[in-house]
Amino acid sequence: MSASRIEELQESASETRSFSLRDLIRRRPESITFALLVAICVIVAVINPAFLQPSTLIDIGRASVVMGLFALGVFIILAAGGIDVSFTAIAAFTMYSLTVLVLNYFPAMPIVLILLVAILGGMLLGIVNGLLVHHLKVPSLIVTIGTQYLFRGFLLSFIGTVWIMSLPPQMGAFGRMPLFQFESANGAVVTLPFYFLVLPLAALVTWWILNRTLMGRAIFAVGGNANVASRLGYNLRTVQIFLFGYAGALAGLAGIIHVCANRQANPFDLVGTEINVIAAVVLGGARITGGTGTVLGTLLGVLLIVVINSVLVMVGIPSTWQRLVVGIFILLAAAFFVTRQRKK
Amino acid sequence: MLARATSEQGLGRFLELRNIQKWFGGVHALRGIDLTLQLGEAYHLLGENGCGKSTVIKIMSGALEPSAGEIVLDGQAFAALTPIQSLAAGIETVYQDLSLLPNLTVAENVALNEQLVGANGRLARLFDRSRLRQTAEKALATVGLPTDRTFLNTTVADLPLAARQLVAIARAIATRAKLVIMDEPTTSLTRREVDNLIRVVERLRSENVAVLFVTHKLDECYRIGGHAIVFRDGQCVAQGPIKDYSKRQLAELMTGRVIDSERYRTGKPKATELLKVSRLTAPGVQEVSFDVRHGEILGITGLADSGRNELAMAIAGVEPADSGTITLDGRAVSIRRPADAIQHGIGYVPEDRLAEGLFLDKSIFENEIALIITRLSNALGIVDKDEGRAIAARLSEEMRLNTKNLDLPVGALSGGNQQRVLIGRWLSIAPKLLVLHGPTVGVDVGSKDTIYRAIQSLAEAGMGLIIVSDDLPELIQNADRILVMNSGRVVAEFDAEQGSEDQLYRAMLTSKMETVQ
Repeated sequence: MSASRIEELQESASETRSFSLRDLIRRRPESITFALLVAICVIVAVINPAFLQPSTLIDIGRASVVMGLFALGVFIILAAGGIDVSFTAIAAFTMYSLTVLVLNYFPAMPIVLILLVAILGGMLLGIVNGLLVHHLKVPSLIVTIGTQYLFRGFLLSFIGTVWIMSLPPQMGAFGRMPLFQFESANGAVVTLPFYFLVLPLAALVTWWILNRTLMGRAIFAVGGNANVASRLGYNLRTVQIFLFGYAGALAGLAGIIHVCANRQANPFDLVGTEINVIAAVVLGGARITGGTGTVLGTLLGVLLIVVINSVLVMVGIPSTWQRLVVGIFILLAAAFFVTRQRKK
Repeated sequence: MLARATSEQGLGRFLELRNIQKWFGGVHALRGIDLTLQLGEAYHLLGENGCGKSTVIKIMSGALEPSAGEIVLDGQAFAALTPIQSLAAGIETVYQDLSLLPNLTVAENVALNEQLVGANGRLARLFDRSRLRQTAEKALATVGLPTDRTFLNTTVADLPLAARQLVAIARAIATRAKLVIMDEPTTSLTRREVDNLIRVVERLRSENVAVLFVTHKLDECYRIGGHAIVFRDGQCVAQGPIKDYSKRQLAELMTGRVIDSERYRTGKPKATELLKVSRLTAPGVQEVSFDVRHGEILGITGLADSGRNELAMAIAGVEPADSGTITLDGRAVSIRRPADAIQHGIGYVPEDRLAEGLFLDKSIFENEIALIITRLSNALGIVDKDEGRAIAARLSEEMRLNTKNLDLPVGALSGGNQQRVLIGRWLSIAPKLLVLHGPTVGVDVGSKDTIYRAIQSLAEAGMGLIIVSDDLPELIQNADRILVMNSGRVVAEFDAEQGSEDQLYRAMLTSKMETVQ
């Protein structure tokens, strides 16, 4: 038995214990995201106590659903070492085509079926991404830039460019359906919509897949080193198709929720917000080079971006500054994460 | 005892390769390999870098498809294996690059494959955490690594290289393997860890498992025993019990030429002092003093944790010293960064040439001139390519590189040639002192010979050299004096001509005898 090796390893273990804060940041980078989030909330609440009103918090919750669903998809692809910028186009394509389809051909389609078709449609488009990434052996960034243009171009050229203002009634009803409702101090009715539940549910499913199934471990294995993973017997094709299919399904769902929540279907919506979503995932501690990150971190990253976007106004900072602040945070977080890597 | 008894019962042919051919583009890498591996036997696959050893391993483990030929596994014939087929049949491989997943934990690296293979590669399966832990604990204990929770949950990227190598071995033995292939498994292990590994191999053989080693360390092959398989240029040139071959015969078979494995040291050191180190203290190094004369080759050895690596890095400015003085040619020098060392004419060839030294996807030319790029460029920062090429050509000549094509990427060269490129780069600054850290780790016999001769001619030209290595024959063959370090101090000094491996090894362990048991 190599006694000194064991001692050495145990020594290094106790060493890290004494720097527990640094160790926490290294092991759980999302703790920085959490700290930033808390700090912002405290500062905003001190400057403008109106921030703590239930209506503001519910607004934040409502605003994070679509971005959160997107972010979960981006995260799972990032975990496997890829990147996706076509998800907004998938969402726009699914939501608009489906709205047109329901309006013109199946006006009586129940909302559950509409949601399922959206998920399925998004998944199929995602699988196209997965197949292309695997068989062309081209970086997923390039493939998804291509498919983003493709999906969006197809949507605008062949399906329509008209802004649909009056939705099928069942979709509008779903967007308004309350999870709970109450009257705030100033007499306005505050509603947390039912569709908010979709985000925690999707997060739970994603967490379960990543941490409790072999597919989840395979995703991280591929993110660690795809060549090694394939040598160890992981089927890269299956993993790629699953990844992009899953992210596509989440995007389809996000798209239809976006329509129901806004009570209108605009084919020009969503595309252009990719970078915001990727920023949220990276702020949540996932490394852009893949193989790391957590679902919790991703959600925290989304909350951080949503909070920045929606509360700066409350403390008197013009909304044009939002990008500035988000940019600074990304650079700060990146600096933190880089130093944590150099520490070893 | 047990090993012998069962190896005679286990006469079953487990894996047979029949006339295996492999082409890479226009290169004929394997020219008709016939091999039979039996359960419970140990095999040593020997040969120079680039002779086709790695290719044959990859064909056995399903990572590569043969261009022609047949693989018979447990009586069933295949044209090619997939990784899952190979793993499911019980072929486990410890690759030279270890093939660990850096972002996953130790436990996952060791034991996840059991579940993947159990599911026959299908991924829509639940992942069993408690089984993962049990399997990992058992395998880690076998190779002598800790089994506590903290260690199981450490990510592999945070482990030192030697521990990673043991983790890779633990993965190979975590499941009921029938054939364990180890591609240079001992390169970063200390002697004690190698002893432990050899015990693991004996245990595997007693459990009727076949073990195939790929290695350059002939001493270890003799210790383990079994069959030698010698490859040269994609062909199998000899097979038979290893005890029937002498080291010299094996070296000849591998290289196809006669290698003189006697002492390489040719010149004599000059009388003038080049380097004087006194009371140098650095992390892991305590008050070390020594000197090197012009034209002298000083060997430094010790166990991995003896401080020998840290001493080399302190002299080179990689991990600067805390206190003590370094005098070069009579002048005290302060070395805080590698750039300081370079400026004073101290070159450092690191141990891990891939991670710390070479740009693998860049050409030989670009690698050779990396240190003198500012000198070669004019006021506008434009590099004088012609002069650079002339210098690179001269360096390659001096290091006897086996190619004249300076535009070849370094990644395409064999380990021995890569190492020569790296040493050649340091010659470009004409150093006074060159520190070589494990100069022949992972290098084949033929290349070792060339590197040793190059080292000797550098010393003859008046350069001082320090070789830090745990390859004791290498030090005895090349150095004038050998310092042995232990627990951060120099504990013994030998005249290389009189020192024996045994004496050196004993000195390495002096204060640690109690832990050797």
